[in-house]
Amino acid sequence: MGERTEQVITLSLPSSMRHVDLLKVIVTEILKETDFTEDIQEQANRAVIEAGINATKHSNKEGPEKQTTFQLIFAEDQFNVAIGDDSEEATPEETETERVVRLSLPSSMRHVYLLDVVVTEILKETDFTEDIQEQINLAVIEAGTNAIKHGNKENPIKKATIEFTLAEDKLEIRIEDEGDGFTRKEVADPLDPENLLKSSGRGLFLMEACMDSVTYENNGTIIKMVKYN
Amino acid sequence: MQVNLRHKGSITILDIEGKVIGADALALKDIINEQIQMVESQGELGAKINIILNMERVQMMDSSGLGVLVASHTAIQRNEGNIVLLSLGGNVRSLIVMAKLMTIFDCYDTEAEAIAGIIFSNSSQDVK
Repeated sequence: MGERTEQVITLSLPSSMRHVDLLKVIVTEILKETDFTEDIQEQANRAVIEAGINATKHSNKEGPEKQTTFQLIFAEDQFNVAIGDDSEEATPEETETERVVRLSLPSSMRHVYLLDVVVTEILKETDFTEDIQEQINLAVIEAGTNAIKHGNKENPIKKATIEFTLAEDKLEIRIEDEGDGFTRKEVADPLDPENLLKSSGRGLFLMEACMDSVTYENNGTIIKMVKYN
Repeated sequence: MQVNLRHKGSITILDIEGKVIGADALALKDIINEQIQMVESQGELGAKINIILNMERVQMMDSSGLGVLVASHTAIQRNEGNIVLLSLGGNVRSLIVMAKLMTIFDCYDTEAEAIAGIIFSNSSQDVK
């Protein structure tokens, strides 16, 4: 397998046992993309979960301020996992009441559903109503699609990185791509009658409609979105 | 996302289930385009494309999905055919309202109404 069919997805989670479910869900989805039989998929999944529990419980002593990082490397016929626990200091922006989940995806449209799976799981941990959860879910998918399609031009070597910070009063989402960026003002208004029948160009509008605040940084390669409780 | 195809006379019904997002939205676009091409390649003079998108089991749709609806509408209008929406759920409906596209699409609550709507539209076009 010398071809560049290998994909690397990185998932970084706070070291809390309740995040093991999130790991299980994403590993299950990734394994579906491989050619392994269901039995082997089940075995691989169990092994990752065991290793994840080990890193969370024993190395990081379930300190939610510490992160466990999973590098899931897969091709049609291979699945490798590298797990890093965080014995060092927690990153300064993380406090006891904030939890950070970070996901880094190769820029392929087929990974949008992985993002959907992760967001759905994360939102279950929040107090947002079902309606609001759907809005946040949509905003995240739009931002992810934007980063993968328009930012990174679906180049699988380039990564779209999505970071969720769960605080008591809000959920903050940061999306970063490796593209050239864009200027928000130059993006046409999809509600303008002359644009209504265009088949694209509604992503940013929907993100802004669904979230309490959306800001564009670093020439639009970083988008920060916030929803307050 | 899963799509099941059914035919009732000259009308194609697509029962769509799941989330119409990302790559799945593009897959839906391919399925609709295939239907358009099939009618066009049959070459019958005046053959029209009639599609009902049954959205009852659509959990979620994003701007890619919305774009597919708009692009399909434009393509089918060119053929003087019909593409109508059936059983819009709350969140898909609010998405279409938010994008100010409610006036573009004919939406129906039952399959019988959707079929009647298409037959009526075709017969009134013939009169013209």
